[in-house]
Amino acid sequence: MSEEIKFTVNGTELEAKSGELLIEACENSGIHIPRFCWHKRLEPVGMCRMCLVEVETPRGKALVPSCTTEITEDLVVDTESEVVKKAQEGILEFLLINHPLDCPVCDKAGECPLQDQTMAYGPGESRFVEEKRHFEKPIPISEIILLDRERCILCARCTRFSDEISGDPLIEFIQRGNKTEVNTFPNEPFRSYFSGNTVQICPVGALTSTSYRFKARPWDLKSISSTCNCCSVGCSIELNTSQNKMLRILGEDNEFTNQGWLSDKGRYNFDYLHSENRVLNILEKNDDSFNEISTSEAIKKITSKVKELKNPNIKFLIGSHSTNEEYFVINQISNHLNKDKFLSKEKSNVYFCDDLLSRGYFEEKYTQATFEDLDKSETIVLWSEDIKDNLPVLYLRIKKAVRNGAKLIVFGHTNTAIAGLADFYFGKDVVSNNFDLMLNPAELKDFKNNVEGKRVTAIVGKAAVSQKKESLDKLVDYLNEISELKLFNSFSKGNTFGALQNIHEIKGLNEFSTEFDNEEKNIVFTIGVNPVNSSYFGKAIKENLIAADYVISLDLFINDTTELADLILPTTSLGEKEGTITNMEMRVMKQNKILPAPGSTLSEWEYLIGILNAMGINIEYKNEIEINADLVRDYSDKESLPTFDNLNKPSNLYGVINTKPINITTKDLKKQDFPLLMVRRLYGDSSTQINSPSISMLGSERFIELNSSTAEKYGISSKVGNFIQGSNSISIKIDINNLLPDDLVIAPINRRGFENIDPSKDFEITEARNREELSVN
Amino acid sequence: MTWDSKLIKKAEEIIKLYPQKRSALGPLLYLAQNKEGYIDDDSVVEISNLLGITEVQVRSVASFYTMYKQEPTGKYLLSVCKSISCEINNSKEVIGGIKEFTGLSSNETDPEKTFTFEEVECIGACGGAPAVQVNYETIEGVTPEKALDLCKYLKEEEPKVIVADDLQEKFGGIKSFEWAIEDNSGTSTTAPGFQIIGTAEEN
Ligand code: SF4
Ligand code: FES
Ligand code: FES
Repeated sequence: MSEEIKFTVNGTELEAKSGELLIEACENSGIHIPRFCWHKRLEPVGMCRMCLVEVETPRGKALVPSCTTEITEDLVVDTESEVVKKAQEGILEFLLINHPLDCPVCDKAGECPLQDQTMAYGPGESRFVEEKRHFEKPIPISEIILLDRERCILCARCTRFSDEISGDPLIEFIQRGNKTEVNTFPNEPFRSYFSGNTVQICPVGALTSTSYRFKARPWDLKSISSTCNCCSVGCSIELNTSQNKMLRILGEDNEFTNQGWLSDKGRYNFDYLHSENRVLNILEKNDDSFNEISTSEAIKKITSKVKELKNPNIKFLIGSHSTNEEYFVINQISNHLNKDKFLSKEKSNVYFCDDLLSRGYFEEKYTQATFEDLDKSETIVLWSEDIKDNLPVLYLRIKKAVRNGAKLIVFGHTNTAIAGLADFYFGKDVVSNNFDLMLNPAELKDFKNNVEGKRVTAIVGKAAVSQKKESLDKLVDYLNEISELKLFNSFSKGNTFGALQNIHEIKGLNEFSTEFDNEEKNIVFTIGVNPVNSSYFGKAIKENLIAADYVISLDLFINDTTELADLILPTTSLGEKEGTITNMEMRVMKQNKILPAPGSTLSEWEYLIGILNAMGINIEYKNEIEINADLVRDYSDKESLPTFDNLNKPSNLYGVINTKPINITTKDLKKQDFPLLMVRRLYGDSSTQINSPSISMLGSERFIELNSSTAEKYGISSKVGNFIQGSNSISIKIDINNLLPDDLVIAPINRRGFENIDPSKDFEITEARNREELSVN
Repeated sequence: MTWDSKLIKKAEEIIKLYPQKRSALGPLLYLAQNKEGYIDDDSVVEISNLLGITEVQVRSVASFYTMYKQEPTGKYLLSVCKSISCEINNSKEVIGGIKEFTGLSSNETDPEKTFTFEEVECIGACGGAPAVQVNYETIEGVTPEKALDLCKYLKEEEPKVIVADDLQEKFGGIKSFEWAIEDNSGTSTTAPGFQIIGTAEEN
């Protein structure tokens, strides 16, 4: 533990931890020192000199950069002396020499540190009459990020972020001195899952995003804090709107979760809210087209259908974007509608749409981990689906922990993207192509040595739909026995944990398709899901939905699933509803509303309660607050219940950890030996992404990965080709990845064309030597 | 693959000299300079693969240091010092003469690709000012007349290997000190001749 030491700033004695940076210590005591390059989540570099302060030294007072000076006992500092002021003026004058001062047309104006600090600390007048630098403006450095180089003040925040934090240094300073600029290498764009963070931390308007450029003035924005539900990390975000349009999402610095960062998916996946394709009225299917009907008509149709079918099976396919309040209501309706049929574990009628859902490790003998545990652990063990693509900000947290000295052990074959960070990567010798653990973990010396008696955080979950849970059990139970284990069940989708907490019994998609009985009368609700397009079970589910007597979809768009519905009930989305969500640490956080519900959309719970009431079941909720008040009752820690009131308190702004019993029923697939491993990529063809023009192109590339000897077997030497299965032929890019075992081919499940591919069946890969040989699709 | 197996092997030997791969970046850039006369994009890709860093990181370093050239150079790189010691010892006229002979301004290369001319800051030969380098082989005590002779010699004789001692004898004047044992090695490209990285050539 670092000791408290005393130091003096502007005549006041203060306390700080030894080793703390002067700028940070002052900040903690409420003394603001202006800065450009220093950022508390990045290593200090002392690039800009804006933070100069005077300190007393044995040789008299000296100006030092406070961002690279550590506090020492009895340090005497002056942050406001004449000399400091002169230095600040001087630095700003220098910085502005090459800055275009085009604030009237710059997106940053109004929230620009350079503008603000020039006002506060600058000389007030310019003496510069010479010609400034000119650059072509703006240049795209990726599909979604633009760069106006002449605005750049060379603080190196963006370059440090991409190197230290996200680990994809595709932007750097080029040239030197007066000519220095940030840039990419030709034909190597800044393709990073995290590029938007650089836009947010750039202290000037040099980096902008295509989605926000020229869209608004910061002083016209309304904003509210909320929580992202793109994956189960639950990053804290700020929603910015103007004239009832979502214009921007920023990362908020939540010490416990995202620490300020976001993935670009979380940041830019919002244009769909205002897409013209969004369903805004209730649609009823008539033959092949949809008619608009009113809410009361729709509810009547549903109730009379239930009556007409006489005690039908009513099943719910649910997704991961509902709030806890909505799941709570789904649980109630599912129980009530099936009162006599489904009240036991075996007979749950709620199916969660994630192919990789398994029973997980929630029993008391397993200690659940928090992200903070990553920083404290000596070893991190990872065996799950691809973290970088599915839990991107968790990837950043792991990277941070590794940088601070934690050992990382990765089991194959899905997390090859993180293998570069790993101390040990256990690939084909340890993990079979079916994801069986082929050895007893104790036999792996490097593994044993790094976990035995150590503080270990494990991130575990099925890596592939065909993986047997037993293989994970072996690993987890071994770890639980010999290490101080904390673990994450790595279910990656949005508010999975909220669903698990608030729905008594949950099953997986395997269960849905195997239990579905065509002989019986079936009504299926699909709630915010599109399994037909993005699941291994998609084909089977499609057949089930076609065979069902009545299908009701609560959703935002017409897609492969909802087009099979008899009734589409348009729902609200991010920013249009209030509620809580639970992340993978069991941290319950608040989602807030800033936009009105568009068209005649309603929240999922409003429809469901409406239906229940129409059927004579008297459950009344007027708003989310009432549902929340009901659902918090079953949380185990009564001291810090995730009520809206409680979560709105400043001390709980970033959520409270709380638990409920969790019941999941899933069975392993019977089929094994899949030659194809289908994985979910960050970007894909989800309805929300394809309807968000600023990022829709990021999910369009189709590619496969295999190792070079497998490629040889297929006779492939070029980088493009066709993937063929039955009548499906998809043009693909071919990536060689030599961490993969022989005879395993990876393909993205959420890219167009691949929804029809069955990973358990054989396929062919042919190479294309020219464009003509590529399939057209 | 634009680097042949011999060059890759050389690069790998150099990389082994360092505890961290990326520390070999400087020498590898000289290999590129030695091969192409400047740091071309293909070599940047090659180096980034060899060192496991990104292309733009390589380019960042390559474009920071002025001795890594970003444009193709001529056969002979004439670097004339313009810093203070040389300045007070008449480097202006040396520079003027060379400019006139070659028809080049600083950082230009002639169309025949014979000369690249540059004015540089102190090259550490103040004791023998004014100083000139040809392909980083230093000649001290160069008079304006000798500078012209040097240019003529290079243009007409087109020596393959440039060796400092040799040129010093022919075109130099006073030397700051005897720098080292006489050696016959120099360079035949616009990369400095370093034995250890294999850019040096014997005369
Ligand atoms: S682009 Fe912005 S963040 Fe990057 S160095 Fe320039 S001013 Fe800093
Ligand atoms: S903030 Fe200290 S030098 Fe930039
Ligand atoms: S000033 Fe010319 S060599 Fe130093």
